[in-house]
Amino acid sequence: MSKDLPEVSDMSDPGGKSGLAKGQTILTVKNLKKSYGKLDVLKDINVDIKKGEVVCVIGPSGSGKSTLLRCLNMLELPDGGQILLNGDEVFGDGKPKNLDVLRREVGMVFQSFNLFPNMTAEGNVSIAQKKVRNRKGDFCKDRSIELLSQVGLEDKVNEYPDRLSGGQQQRVAIARALAMDPEVMLFDEVTSALDPELVKGVLDVMRGLADEGMTMVCVTHEMGFARDVGDRVLFMDGGVIVEQGKPDDVLGNPKQERTQQFLGLVLANG
Amino acid sequence: MGEYFGDVLAGFWWTIRLSIVGGVLALAWGLILAVLRQLPGRAFAPVRWLTIAYIDALRGIPMLLTLLLIYGGLGTLQAEGTIPKWIGVPEFFGYPSAFWYGIAALTLTYGAYMAEVYRAGIEAVPRGQMEAARSLGMSHGQSMRFVIVPQAVRKVIPPLLNDYIALMKDTSLISVISMPEVVQVGRDIYSTTFNPSALTLGAIMFLVVTIPLARLVDWQIKKQDEKFERGIP
Repeated sequence: MSKDLPEVSDMSDPGGKSGLAKGQTILTVKNLKKSYGKLDVLKDINVDIKKGEVVCVIGPSGSGKSTLLRCLNMLELPDGGQILLNGDEVFGDGKPKNLDVLRREVGMVFQSFNLFPNMTAEGNVSIAQKKVRNRKGDFCKDRSIELLSQVGLEDKVNEYPDRLSGGQQQRVAIARALAMDPEVMLFDEVTSALDPELVKGVLDVMRGLADEGMTMVCVTHEMGFARDVGDRVLFMDGGVIVEQGKPDDVLGNPKQERTQQFLGLVLANG
Repeated sequence: MGEYFGDVLAGFWWTIRLSIVGGVLALAWGLILAVLRQLPGRAFAPVRWLTIAYIDALRGIPMLLTLLLIYGGLGTLQAEGTIPKWIGVPEFFGYPSAFWYGIAALTLTYGAYMAEVYRAGIEAVPRGQMEAARSLGMSHGQSMRFVIVPQAVRKVIPPLLNDYIALMKDTSLISVISMPEVVQVGRDIYSTTFNPSALTLGAIMFLVVTIPLARLVDWQIKKQDEKFERGIP
């Protein structure tokens, strides 16, 4: 939904400029390590994300899946390894590099929404466009309203977050991340804090994004979503990727015993 | 009592001006200190360290002593010719130097107190707010300016008002460097007439301002509580 923007002079930094074709590698993770004290949360993670791909990361609590996602955006600093975005090193030699570029091009949506309560829905979606992409006020506002309409919230443009339901807040958060025209979107258990009847609205928005070719990495417990929308499923446990492959293979016919155990538990519960 | 009313009111008018100018500057200085204290990364460690040292020192020294040190220190340095007269004996806007020494002491001391109040507010903003702002590509400074500080300030209005009441009362300390504020006026009248009614009048004038301020603090707290406790009987 954010890919074919018109050329507008107000848009001094349109973003999303890699020009990669679908299927080319956009994000590369090599030998990524992260530990908290003596606890190794990520042990030598290697994964490539391709343009337009929807990768769903599943696994038990404490498996390191959220930490992996947060490392991709440097919200957690990895201890070692390398991360490349469009071939440019954004983490290497133990240090983040081109952090501004990384954060501009990689959008993130959180489990707890994290909307700014001191701004309206429109303000939430506009602020980073103005301050980071240096777009003009009117342009930001129009773009924000357009994005809020696309997530079904055209009547909530001027509401503050505390007047919105969890599902509506999460959809504003998705619009806010999309407003930066990111190359990759990261979703960190975005439906886990929602009431069951609100989950569908958020998943539908994500489905729409996937259909339009957005590159997405989703940490999720929604096995149905992973199966229907995911191009690839990663099963993580104990800080390693235990198994990965097409959703039907990993979810329907897992080869590893740990994957079988996990899916047995999850599917038995619903 | 009425015969002193004019003199006491003139003194109280200085008290009001001291507390407004000192209060505004202390609020601003305190916010600057609080933001400096929150600068991230190893590069800013010396700034954080200096800020903490400043806050510790100025909260640990009685304001009376700070006032006398500024008064004596600046006056002496100016007399020696080390610093120019407009700094050593400031008389901006035609106000006496004692006024500005007092403002300096109020700002330096209460800035330190208010910095701690702001800090509490900043730390009370959920961590996810900074994460969301940074994940959108905003810098630390932009995130503080547009996301964190506006939320933090709203949370700490009641304790800031509380500090403001304390600041207002501490303007009376400036009487020791011959500032003709309300306590000084009352004491002068008392020492010549042995009549404490001017002092009593001064006390009443303080209460006329501080009691409504205290009510305002309570009202603000109640308003915030209502927002968070909606629906609990």
